Parts: sequence; structure tokens; C-alpha cells
Amino acid sequence: MTGSVKVAPTARNDRRDHLVGVATNQVTILIGVMVILVGIFSLLEPKFFSVPTANNILTDWGSVALIAVGQTFVIISGGIDLSVGAIVGLSGVVAAWTMANGLGLDQTVKGADAAPGLVVGALVAVGVGLGVGLVNAFLINVLKIVPFIATLATMGACLGFSVIISSGAPIGSANDFSLISAMDPKANPFSWTVLGVIIVIAIAGLFLHKSRFGLYTYAIGSNSFAASAAGINVKRHLTMVYALSGALAGLAGMFVYIRLGAGSPSSGTGRELDAIAAVVIGGASLMGGIGRIWGTILGALILFTVQSGLIMIGVAPDWKKVVVAVLIAAAVSAQVLQNRNGRK
Amino acid sequence: MSGELIYEVENVSKNYGSVVALDGASLKLHAGEVVGLVGDNGAGKSTLVKVLSGAHQPDAGRILLDGKERHWGSPREALDAGIETLYQDSGLAPHLTVSENVFLGRELVAPGLLGKLGFLAKKNMAREAHEDLERVGIAVPASSRSISQLSGGQRQAVAIGRAVSWARKVIILDEPTNHLGARQAGEVLEVIKAAKAKGLGVIFISHTLPHVLEVTDRIVVLRLGRIVMDAPTSEFNSDRLLGTITGSISAAGAEGE
Repeated sequence: MTGSVKVAPTARNDRRDHLVGVATNQVTILIGVMVILVGIFSLLEPKFFSVPTANNILTDWGSVALIAVGQTFVIISGGIDLSVGAIVGLSGVVAAWTMANGLGLDQTVKGADAAPGLVVGALVAVGVGLGVGLVNAFLINVLKIVPFIATLATMGACLGFSVIISSGAPIGSANDFSLISAMDPKANPFSWTVLGVIIVIAIAGLFLHKSRFGLYTYAIGSNSFAASAAGINVKRHLTMVYALSGALAGLAGMFVYIRLGAGSPSSGTGRELDAIAAVVIGGASLMGGIGRIWGTILGALILFTVQSGLIMIGVAPDWKKVVVAVLIAAAVSAQVLQNRNGRK
Repeated sequence: MSGELIYEVENVSKNYGSVVALDGASLKLHAGEVVGLVGDNGAGKSTLVKVLSGAHQPDAGRILLDGKERHWGSPREALDAGIETLYQDSGLAPHLTVSENVFLGRELVAPGLLGKLGFLAKKNMAREAHEDLERVGIAVPASSRSISQLSGGQRQAVAIGRAVSWARKVIILDEPTNHLGARQAGEVLEVIKAAKAKGLGVIFISHTLPHVLEVTDRIVVLRLGRIVMDAPTSEFNSDRLLGTITGSISAAGAEGE
């Protein structure tokens, strides 16, 4: 019975496959792109290669990286979440409203005194995001609305609610700006909030790539029928995926609040598209089943490196959109090529 | 030659809107028996497979496993009861590796706290998947390859290997010889005979009638959602089987036990 159906594996083939895999790996390519970008911008504007610039880029990156990581899970599962940008705005507004009206903290509360208020604000923001994520899951699982439309609807609702609650103007409350500034403006560009984001992303990445939760996310995006036939509760899993995406968007809302010292209804507008761009540049497929957390992180980093770099070398910021468009097209065509080679 | 009755459906019906997919179909399966399920496209084979595997719930009728009535709420419940199914063309997740597919839904987790959090023991799964497939008589490339890198025949081999290595009572194979060349198909038939020798009940669905005639003990013919013939394989030859499937030979009188 050992008459083998197929060619037996050989160590040499496996090693060659491995090397080819590394060379054509999306992450390797992205690191290369990142190094080239930093090199070009530094040559054109020596001030670009500095701690303050790195801090600016990381601060821009932080909030989008959070929602992009949530979006990575959603896109790998075969869905999409358009509501995350609006959740950033809504959760920031609701957190600020709670801190200002519920706790009675105004903008004179600063530094360490703001800590209890900020903790409450963060819990509220994550709670709001989680809630919207569960609404998304309800629309998708129970009402059978496709994710694009379901999350488009909640995006509109979130934008509306955030304007209604804030009367259209930012709500200021307690804050501690030291959380968002570079720890050491000369040597260390990381801030406490960016460090927090990195920890959250590291945990999410471990769950995506090492745990059953991540495996089921890939399985559902790859073939949802096969996943369900293998005994996976697809609806329950998707509920958790959209809840995670919403909760991370809520956390991003708090990140933006700390940056502004206020909850602004428009603070997340368009961020969902940045997040989707980051995920796609990072090598994920909108068809589901493909994507890496490292790809997304680097994709988001490249977006904001391009943005900061273009501004610093004196190019009109609108060119950022053109450059991002080129990056997206390049990322997707690289994927198409990879698929063609992979199939043999 | 066959053992005890293990799996049985009685008078199951299933409608999709106004379409009657199954109309009072009954089927008995014994331990160590291979039953061929044949019928034209649209005869209800796939629906019956989905009812048997827990993927769909019948509108009427009973399902009995080891003589006890069961209601499958999901494929998970049928899997847990020892019933494995190979679905035609769609049973594998192409982006996952061979071992992830073999273990999907039944992953091995790391020891201790990490395992409680759902962290996987990937190396153990890769090794065991390889061993399981070899034991079934199927050799496939490294467990770490993703299914999308395999040929159609290799994919089918993985799917069959997974079903056979997990099955404890019943194994349902929907078109397992699709995409396979003659030699590979022959090996699949050997795998089916080995499963039968182990005492599993096998339901074999195929359009390739010579395979059905070669490997089955009994053949059940479905037409328009009804079972029109259920008889020992020895009573068929290929002309009679084809005639019964298409309806050119009346099955009246041959129906029943």
C-alpha cells in the first residue's frame, strides 16, 4: 500500500523552495522598498533621517496600524470593514464626551492627573468599537448583508452619531500629551502610546499566525464551506473577527484622542482606506485566505514614510495619493505574478 | 460478509424552496460494507451526502447511528460521532498547508497555558499528518506545502487521506476519483477496500460506473430525489446500471431490500 500517489519530497527541493520563498516574500520586498524610500528621502533632505521625523511617522502610523491590523484579520477572513475610520471618530467623541460630561474633567486636567480619566476613556472607546463590530457581525451573519454594504451602513451611522453627539465640534477633556511625544527627542523616537500599539500588534500577530483563532480566520477566507465542513463555527468566528476589528478601531480612536486632546467627529475620516491600502500593500488578498501581520505593519509604515518624506522634500502632499496608488498597483501585480509562478 | 447496521436514514426529504431535492429516500449502511450511491446530475446525491454529513438538516425523516436517532445540528456533531465526509472539489482550504487541512477543526495545541489560549503545536501536526497520510497509503509532498501548490490529484489524495485517517464509523466519499488518472484512481479504490477491511462503512458516490461496480457491495440508484433501486452489486452489469440511472430500464420490482 505504499505505492505513492505522488512524487516523494526531497530535501533539496524543499530548501530551494524555501530560498525562492524568502526572495519573493512580500515582507522581504517591503523591507527593501522601505530602505530605498528612507534612502532617497534622506539624500534629498538630510533632516529626514532624524529622531523627530521618525517620531512623527510613528505617531501617524500608530492609529492606522491598529485599524489596519484589525482589517488584516477581516480581509484574511474574506470580508472587509469600511466602518473602522468612522469608529475612530465615534469612539474618540464618545470617550471625550464621557470624560468631559460624565467625569467632569475639562482641558485643565493635565499630566498624571489625567490618568484615571484616560483609562475610563480608553475603556469607553474600546467598548464603542466592540459594539459597532458586533453590529457589523449581526448585519453580516444574521441579516446576510455582504460585508462591504453592512460596514458601509455602519460607517454612515457612526459618522452621523459622532456629529450628533459632538454637535459637529471637537470635545476637549483631560489629557497627557507626554504620552504621545518621543521618549527622548534626541535618541528615542518611540512614545508610550506607540509602544502600546506595538505590544497590541505583537499579541494580535501571535494570535493570527500561531493560534487556532488565526488558523480559522485563514480557513474561512480560503474556503468557508471547507471550514464549516471541518466543524468550524463560521458565524461565531466571523463575529469575533468583526468585534476585534471594531475594538482595535476603538483603541485607535483613543490614540487619536490623546494626540489631539479632544474627540473630533472627523478625526477618522478616510482612515479605513489608509488601513485597506496598508493591508493590500502588505500582500493580503481581498479574496481572503492570504495576508501577514508583518506585511500590514510595513505597508502602513511605507504609507506614512511616503507622506512625511514628500512633505519634507517640498513636494505637494497631494502627490502622496499618486505614490500610494502606484504602491497598491505594484503590490497587487506582484501578487498576481507570484500566483502565476506558484501554480506552475 | 457485512457487519452490523451502523448508519441509516429513513424517508428523508429535503426541499430548497419549491425544488424537491430529496423525496423520502432511505439508505442502510453496515459495518465493513461499501455502498455505491449513483444517479444522474440533479438526482439528489449531493443533497443526500449533505444530510448524511450534517451539513444540511432534512425537512422530514429520521437519521439513525447505531440504532439511535440522531439530529445533526452541524457537521461538527457528525464528525464527533465518527462520520467523515469527502466533499466533491470543495473540502480543502487551498491557502492552508497539507497538515493544517488534515487537522482543521481538530488541531493539536501546545502544552499548558499556551494551548488553553489556542496556540498550535504546528510541528507535531506536520509530523502526524505525514504519518497519517502514509498509513492510509498516500504519499504527498511535504506537510508544509499549501494545497494551492498541489496538483488536482495530490489535493484529492490529501482529502481522502484526511477522511480515512479520521473516520471511526462511516466514511462518505463524493466523487473521490475525480481529477485522477487511471493508476491514481486504482489506488483510491485500494484505499476504499482497506477502509472496508477495517470495518468502516463506506458510501461511495461516483459517475465512473466501472469503479462503482468494482468496489461496492451494494448499489443505490437515485433519480429525481427518490431511490429507484437498492440491490447487491452482483445483480448489476454496466448496461443495467446505466439503464437504471437514466430511467430507460424500469426499476419497478427490483426496489426494496
